[in-house]
Amino acid sequence: MKHPLTNNYRLLLFYALFWGIIATVNIILQVFWYNVPLTYSLLDSGSNYILYPLLGSSIWYSIRYNSLEEISVGRLIAFHFIAASILCGIWVYISYAIYQPFIYDNNNFLKDGLPSKIFVGYVMYIIYLVFFYAVNYYQSLKEKIKKEGEYKALIREAELQALKSQINPHFLFNSLNSISSLTVSNPEKAQEMVINLSTFMRYSLMHNEKEMVSFSRELENIKLYLSIEKVRFGKKLNAEFEIDAHCLEAEIPNMILQPLFENAIKYGVYETTDQVTITTTCECDGPYLKISIRNDYDSNSIKRRGEGIGLRNIRKRMEIIYNQPDLIKINDHKTSFEVQLIIPQKQPVS
Amino acid sequence: MSEKLQTLIIEDEELARNLLRSYLKDHPDIEVIGECENGFEGVKTINEKKPDLVFLDIQMPKITGFEMIELLDFKPQIIFTTAYDQYALKAFEMNAVDYLLKPFSKDRMLSAIEKVQHRIQIGEDTSEKLEELTNLRPGEDFIDRVVVKDRHKIHIITVDKIRYIESLDDYVMIYTNDGRHMKQKTMKYFENNLDPKNFIRIHRSYIVQVDNIAEIQQYEKESYIVILKDTAKTKLKVSKTGYKKIKEVLHF
Repeated sequence: MKHPLTNNYRLLLFYALFWGIIATVNIILQVFWYNVPLTYSLLDSGSNYILYPLLGSSIWYSIRYNSLEEISVGRLIAFHFIAASILCGIWVYISYAIYQPFIYDNNNFLKDGLPSKIFVGYVMYIIYLVFFYAVNYYQSLKEKIKKEGEYKALIREAELQALKSQINPHFLFNSLNSISSLTVSNPEKAQEMVINLSTFMRYSLMHNEKEMVSFSRELENIKLYLSIEKVRFGKKLNAEFEIDAHCLEAEIPNMILQPLFENAIKYGVYETTDQVTITTTCECDGPYLKISIRNDYDSNSIKRRGEGIGLRNIRKRMEIIYNQPDLIKINDHKTSFEVQLIIPQKQPVS
Repeated sequence: MSEKLQTLIIEDEELARNLLRSYLKDHPDIEVIGECENGFEGVKTINEKKPDLVFLDIQMPKITGFEMIELLDFKPQIIFTTAYDQYALKAFEMNAVDYLLKPFSKDRMLSAIEKVQHRIQIGEDTSEKLEELTNLRPGEDFIDRVVVKDRHKIHIITVDKIRYIESLDDYVMIYTNDGRHMKQKTMKYFENNLDPKNFIRIHRSYIVQVDNIAEIQQYEKESYIVILKDTAKTKLKVSKTGYKKIKEVLHF
């Protein structure tokens, strides 16, 4: 850690100003009240309030490398006593070296002040010591708080990174297989699907985990995702959207909907041989956008185990972004499954 | 090879079926005799037509490819196909069966067919290998359903509907609220693959669902029976170790 006075010019200024004021008051008192000659008063103040603060700033190093926690009280006192003695010695020596040419008459103001000057030197050392300990404590506290904040931000980011939905490899390889098949039977459609898949992948890679997008942008991406899956599942997959146009401007975390549609396909479309409809509805009243995704499923062939990892991740991600619990609601209606997302809005959508 | 291999494709996705068909179209040793869209159709067609070779997708609606194999009376040569399934892959590797990872090339498929032809030539029996494959539990998860076949109907039993399982030599009898179903599996398989928090092997011959136990009675000195929650108040014998396990799970 650097010296607080050289590192922080405001603190240095206050330090100088503080001692400057004290010196001025001292000179005024001595000259006008005690009738001390101005030269003597200037010399005395210069020694106490300019020279000592200069020398005393080195006390910082004596506390910096003698942490209160790491050293025993006895050794600490001994150390500071020696340090104070050396400092006082230098201070008194330099002071009197400067005084020497001025001690020409019988005024003993400077000469007789020696014992009390040494005493003052020790007392000042203690005051400086307390001051620098306080500064040191304050600085390390500030640093600790700053570091803690940084750590927290890092953890939050890492968590969000992990929670943001990843492209399911199963989806990717099956899509690639569909493309492989289309290159033989319908090259144009294969090309279209490659482009759709690329656009979808780009969207999922491009946005970072904190970024908000408009509901319309997210919806566009979902339609792209469904169009890719529709190539695989054909008639079995039927998607219906009932979206109010005025909700489209609402803000929503990117890629938050895709895992919900992926689940709907996994548990709805994939597990049955009949057609499955995925219905998406939304309402925006005041500070919330509510999106509901509902799919039929065959309760005979699968036992839904409540909240899987996909839903858990979305719940966690919403919690971190909005700092609010219960923004995701799950309803199992036995033949259909419904997930509702409640997305707080900064600006009310109407 | 004098005769063409009678080949069946079982695959739920139309595009994937199309691709396989086009790969196989001009193969001199292959004759595609049918295509099935799901495991139910697959069981029926295999048992009827007894093909030599089956291309079988693992992930399909209703029942998986593995579950389908359990229901077969006749076990043909099988080449598995899958897009991405870590558990299936582990099972394949452990059991050295033929599998194709989607998307796969025509060459890759041809070499898989060659291997099958070689096995047929040397007369290797693969049914045991397949049996073993369906007993593996490569993942950490417990099973959540059991697929059974009674005469011509396939039933999917979610494990919460199982009341208890009784051993019958090489088979087990699975009792549910709707009736009972026979299945060719071992007690050991169910003991390993059902969640031990919900199912206890109370005796050499019985595995019971915990929630289905109404009472535990002392029968003789150091011998117990459980009475089940059903109208008939079924009584099942409990072995010494079985009694210990019940105590552990129910905390008494």
